Amino acid sequence: MFSELFLPVLMVIFMLVVGGYAVAVLDRLVASALGVPQAGGIWLAPMARGAWLLTQHANATEAPDWRAWRLAPALYLALAAGGLAVVPWSASLVATDLVTSVVLWGSVEALATVVIFLHGWSANSLLALIGGYRYVALGLSYILISMFVLIGVALPAESLQFTQVVASQEGLWNVIRQPLGLPLFLIVGLGMTFWGPLNLADSTDLAGGTASEISGPPRLVWDMARAAMLVAFSGVAATAFLGGWLGPWLPGPLWISLKMLAVLSVLLLLGRLLPRLAPERCVTLMWVVLLPLSFIDLVWAGIGALL
Amino acid sequence: MESMNHGLGVDIAFLLLATLAVVTGWRVFRTDSMVRASFFLLVSFIAVGVIMILLAAEYLGVAMFFMMAVEMTVMALFMVMFMMNPAGLNPMNMVHQERIAIGAGVAGFLILGAMALLATFPDQPVPAGLEPVRSLGNEMLGESMLIFESAGLVLLTTMIGVVVLSSHRGRYGAAAEGSMPPGLEPGGDPAGKPEEDEAGEGGHHHHHHHH
Amino acid sequence: MTLTTLLLLAAALIGIGIYGALSQQSFVMLMMGLELILNGVMLAAVAFWAFSGAGVPEGQLLTIIVMAVMAIEMAMGFALVVAAFRGKQADMTESLTGLKH
Repeated sequence: MFSELFLPVLMVIFMLVVGGYAVAVLDRLVASALGVPQAGGIWLAPMARGAWLLTQHANATEAPDWRAWRLAPALYLALAAGGLAVVPWSASLVATDLVTSVVLWGSVEALATVVIFLHGWSANSLLALIGGYRYVALGLSYILISMFVLIGVALPAESLQFTQVVASQEGLWNVIRQPLGLPLFLIVGLGMTFWGPLNLADSTDLAGGTASEISGPPRLVWDMARAAMLVAFSGVAATAFLGGWLGPWLPGPLWISLKMLAVLSVLLLLGRLLPRLAPERCVTLMWVVLLPLSFIDLVWAGIGALL
Repeated sequence: MESMNHGLGVDIAFLLLATLAVVTGWRVFRTDSMVRASFFLLVSFIAVGVIMILLAAEYLGVAMFFMMAVEMTVMALFMVMFMMNPAGLNPMNMVHQERIAIGAGVAGFLILGAMALLATFPDQPVPAGLEPVRSLGNEMLGESMLIFESAGLVLLTTMIGVVVLSSHRGRYGAAAEGSMPPGLEPGGDPAGKPEEDEAGEGGHHHHHHHH
Repeated sequence: MTLTTLLLLAAALIGIGIYGALSQQSFVMLMMGLELILNGVMLAAVAFWAFSGAGVPEGQLLTIIVMAVMAIEMAMGFALVVAAFRGKQADMTESLTGLKH
C-alpha cells in the first residue's frame, strides 16, 4: 500500500522541491564550464536567490486580475507536478498509471499554454501581455509537434500508457528506432518551458515578458515552476525515448534519474549555446520545417510498426 | 470497473467536481471579463472531464482537457481581439431578452431533471473486463470507421470554409473594394458582368450592398 | 455518483447553457452558451454509456462526434464573427439584422 500509493506521490513532491534547485545548479555548472563567470558559489547561489526573493516585496501593477495573477505561477507548478506524475520510476512505481497517460501529458502541454497566457494577461501590463500572446502563437505549434512525435512512440507500444511505452523499448530504445523523435521533442521541451533559444514569452527584449511585472514570492514560484516543468519534461523524454527505467545492474529509479539528468544537461547546454530566435522566424521554423519533420517521424513510426 | 462499486472517495470527488462544474459554468455569464469567462468555461469542462475519468471513460476525459484547453485559448484570443471590455475593468452586462432566457433555462433544467428522476433506464453497467480505450479505438477504426472518417472530412471542409469566410482577399482583390474581375481591355468594364442600365459611365463600379 | 445524479448535473449544465445562448448579446458569449449545452450532452452520453449501455463502444463514439461538432461550431462561429466584424465593426447579434432579409 505504502510503496504503491504514497511513495510515488512523495517522489513527485520531492522532485518538485529538488528539481528547481537541481536545474539552477546544473545551469550554473554548464555556464561555468562554458567559461561564463558565475557570481557566488555554484551550490549556494540558487538558495541565496530563493531566500532573497522570499523576503522581497511582491510587486503590484495597476488593476491586475489579482486571482489569476497570483494563481498562474501556482497552476504552472501544478502542471509540472502533473507531468512528473505520469513519469514511471519503475514498472510499478508510478503516481498516475492512467491507460491514457501519454494523452495526459499532451493535455499538460495544452493547459500550459492557457496558464502562460493567463500569467501574461492578468498582470494588466503591455509587455507581459505581448509575452502571453507570443506564447499562444507558438504554443499551438509546440503542441502539434509534440503530439505527432508522441503518437509515434505510442505506435510500437500499441498503447497510450507510458509504462507500456517503456516496456516496448525492451529490445530497442525509441531514440534509435525513431531517430527524428527525440530531437524534435527536445525542441518542444525548450519551447514549453520557454528556455534558452525559445525563450520568447519571458525574453529580455520584452524586459522579462509575462514575468516582467512580478517580484518577490510569486517570482520565486514562477521560476521554480519553469524549472520543475523542465524536469518533468526531461522525465517524459527519458521515458518516451531513452527506455525509462530500463537498464542493467542499477535499479530502475536510478536509471531514469540518470537519463533525466542527461536530458536536462543537453537542454541546459542548448539553452546556453544557441542564440534566441526571433518570434516570427520561430513560427516559420515550427510550421514549415519542424511540423513536416514530425509527420515524417510519424510515417516512419507507422511503417516500423507495420513491418 | 471502479465506477460501479466505487467507494465514498469517488462520491465526495463527484460532489465537489459537480459543484465546481455548475458554479464555474454559471460564472461564465456573470463575470466582467470575457477572458475570465472563457477560462471559467474551461474549468467547467475540466471538471466534467475528471468526472468522465471517474466513470472509466479514460480517453474521453483526458481528451476533454486538451481539446478544451486549446479551444478556450483560441476563444480568449478572439475575446481580446473583438471585445470592448476584455480586461474586465468595467462592469459588463450585455444581455437581451433576459427573462425569456432565464425561463427557458429553468424550463430546460426542470424538464431534463424530471426525465432523469422519473424515467427508468436499463441498469446495464460497463462489464468488468472491458477496456474502454481499446474498445473505443476498435470501434472508431473498425465498425464505425465511416462515421469517424466523415467527421474528419467535415472538419476539413470546415477548415476550408472558414478560411474562405474569414479571408480578407477575394479572387480579384480585397473584398471590401468589390473584388471585381479585370476588364477584357485595359480600363474596360469588368469581364463577365451582366450589362446594367447605367452602364456607360466607364471606369470601375463599386457596388455596395445595403439592406 | 449514480446515473440520476449525473443526469441532473448534465441537466443543470444544459439549463445554464440555454440561458447563456439566449441571453447574451455578444456572439462569442453566445457560443459559450452553446458549448456549455454540449458539455452537458457529452456528460450525459458518457453517463449512459457507463451505467445503462452495457459498455457498447458507440456510447463513447457519440462523445467523440460531439467534440468534433464543437470544434466545427467554434471554427464556423469565429469565421462568422470575423466576417461580421469586418463589415459592421461590432460583434453584437443585433448588428446582424441584415441576415434577416
